[in-house]
Amino acid sequence: MSGPWVEKYRPQKLDDIVGQEHVIPRLKRYVEEKSMPNLMFTGPAGVGKTTTALALAKEILGDYWRQNFLELNASDARGIDTVRTSIKNFCRLKPVGAPFRIIFLDEVDNMTKDAQHALRREMEMYTKTSSFILSCNYSSKIIDPIQSRCAIFRFLPLKGHQIIKRLEYIAREEGLEYEPQALDTIVYFAEGDLRKSINLLQSAASLGEKITEESIYEVVSRARPKDVRKMINTVLNGKFMDARDILREIMVLQGISGEDMVTQIYQELSRMAMEGALEGEKYIKLIEAIGEYDFRIREGANPRIQLEALLAKFLEYS
Amino acid sequence: MSWTEKYRPRTFEEVAGNKKAIEEIKKWIDEWKAGNPQPPLLLVGPPGTGKTTLAHIIGREFSDTLELNASDKRSQDAIRRTAGEASSTYSLFNHDLKLIILDEVDGIHGNEDRGGVQAINRIIKESRQPLVLTANDPYSKRLQTIKPKCKVINIRKVHTASIAAALKRICRAEGIDCPPDVLKELAKRSMGDLRSAINDLEAMAKGEESVGKELLDTGAKDAVSTIFDAVRAVLKSRDVVKVREAMRVDDDPTSVLEFIAENVPREYEKPHEISRAYDMLSRADVFFGRAVRSRDYTYWRYASELMGPGVALSKDETYRKFVRYSGSSSFRILRRTRKKRALRDSVARKMAGKMHISPRVAISMFPFLEIIFENDEMAYEIKEYLELTDEEVKLFRKRKIRAPERKKPGKKTETPGRPLPGPEKRDDEAGADKGRSRKSPEDGSERNRSHGQGEKKNKKNDEKPKEKQTSLFQFK
Repeated sequence: MSGPWVEKYRPQKLDDIVGQEHVIPRLKRYVEEKSMPNLMFTGPAGVGKTTTALALAKEILGDYWRQNFLELNASDARGIDTVRTSIKNFCRLKPVGAPFRIIFLDEVDNMTKDAQHALRREMEMYTKTSSFILSCNYSSKIIDPIQSRCAIFRFLPLKGHQIIKRLEYIAREEGLEYEPQALDTIVYFAEGDLRKSINLLQSAASLGEKITEESIYEVVSRARPKDVRKMINTVLNGKFMDARDILREIMVLQGISGEDMVTQIYQELSRMAMEGALEGEKYIKLIEAIGEYDFRIREGANPRIQLEALLAKFLEYS
Repeated sequence: MSWTEKYRPRTFEEVAGNKKAIEEIKKWIDEWKAGNPQPPLLLVGPPGTGKTTLAHIIGREFSDTLELNASDKRSQDAIRRTAGEASSTYSLFNHDLKLIILDEVDGIHGNEDRGGVQAINRIIKESRQPLVLTANDPYSKRLQTIKPKCKVINIRKVHTASIAAALKRICRAEGIDCPPDVLKELAKRSMGDLRSAINDLEAMAKGEESVGKELLDTGAKDAVSTIFDAVRAVLKSRDVVKVREAMRVDDDPTSVLEFIAENVPREYEKPHEISRAYDMLSRADVFFGRAVRSRDYTYWRYASELMGPGVALSKDETYRKFVRYSGSSSFRILRRTRKKRALRDSVARKMAGKMHISPRVAISMFPFLEIIFENDEMAYEIKEYLELTDEEVKLFRKRKIRAPERKKPGKKTETPGRPLPGPEKRDDEAGADKGRSRKSPEDGSERNRSHGQGEKKNKKNDEKPKEKQTSLFQFK
């Protein structure tokens, strides 16, 4: 079964990975030596961290890689203990059919500091038989003791031409009809994220016609979290409590984090200004407010309260 | 059926509290039955205390109940009709008395306008039938002309003990085990609103045998009433000394902050007051963040000053009005969205399992899937690949997915409708499909898509023999 294109077209070999040329040769040396230290892959979303980890594991562990590879989400809501138990159960036995075992942990930067310290102890405990690959968006959120135990690989946002080349390949395979500008438009919106690019492509293809710039714009406008504009308009109309309820629903239903929400609000305001739905002076004041509260979200303890306060600030301009 | 409906009292005896009011109501009914028409009854009181329930119980004492919207023309006609008849006959036959109910005439809770005051007064004047009106706010301006024409009965908040007793009865009837202190807690928090207490009980209990341990985690029961006192002091007063006193509670200060935030817009009415108050709360939260990061909790004192006196002084003047404070609405939102979130999470988990992504990333892909799922073929593929249930598919698409025609029925491993791209085939396909768009109706039949289009055109009762064979795909 092919399923979504992001999975169908995931490269299986290190050689096939798009971009990251500064990373791949070093990893191939580990394959030659059949050994590797703990690794940390850091970088933005959708640029190949997981794909590389999988490809590396397959090549370095050999035919029985599946039995000797454990994939976990480190910020699993069930907590560090579940993660620890999974690791323990996995590592109890010696690797069979492979030189060692690999444990891949995703989203390590979402773990609390305490959980990270516990993780470090796990890493130490199994260092003889296992190597860890840790994946994160922000290495600054990883505690030093873990960073010092890993070889760090920084994954960079992909360049436009790299993304386009891959999209062209997929378009050929799927028999798509498209305008070259459409691919440029995808690159523009994707901001270096290949996963997002492929999702944009597949969504546009699903619309059924030739893929044009317009198709991409249509997809982008439909693929936004819903109701952000409604929330903004509601508060600018003076209805604070209603807007607050919408905010809470968005955050609960769509599981969006505080920082992502700020990005959404910022982008939506931007769009509104471009469409002329918001006049210049007001727009600037609102942007200023967003910036301030973005900062406070990072400094503060409760992102939701900060976002509500941002809405309350917007109320002043209603 | 919701519990507030299921356990709504049907007789006066079953009603919790307000015994004196009920006596007056009974007298009013008796007078009508004895042939002495009475002025309309106006039941006034806070929400969830039984006004509508009482109105319907009163209705049972008469031959019929009519619930009317004063501004609705049909209602006005209905009133005129009933007003016309019965003027001479009701003294002989009780059966002809119909109770007319006008609910929430002061429109305080944002109900659609239930008729201008004029319409209501007209109904009062013209009707020959017994009339019951309900309202929340005894001081509402809209009631000023109406009140003098009515017999006003105050329905009071239900006592905590009565609420707890009612909750206990419901628990027993539902076979739920619930510790008495949890019930008492719920009762206290409802602040005299029995309806909301029952709703909260239902939300907590649905599907669970025993209820509400989490409620008790907030600490000793005294602490909760103290939080409410703190919130009340902050929002109602501008006296710094008094506020600081009231802020001395045992609770975790971040919870206190949430409570205050929750209720600021309920108390403060002017935009700049809400904005200032929230700015204070935001700054307080920043101090909480700093405290956590630096593990230095002396920062808490600044947070406390900001969210207490800071918020208190954000208002120009104190408000003299009754406000019903609420705990965080997160509870309500979680309840309302429970089913959708469960579906969302189960889909995210399936995606995480098959696609090497985290649930969070999976959820961020949902908007794309909504678009992709409009395409029948892709929707089908992805549904099969992820093994989604019909319920889960509904997250992305309202229409059922029709299985595309298949060459080999029953074989799950093949991609239906499209030949497998084996290595030797790739060039041919690429060649054949170059320049052809994916889903145009004029497309060649190689991909069976024209059949797919045809299916869509002949909507429902399509008898496709091939589909019938493959019973795997009969989606109910």
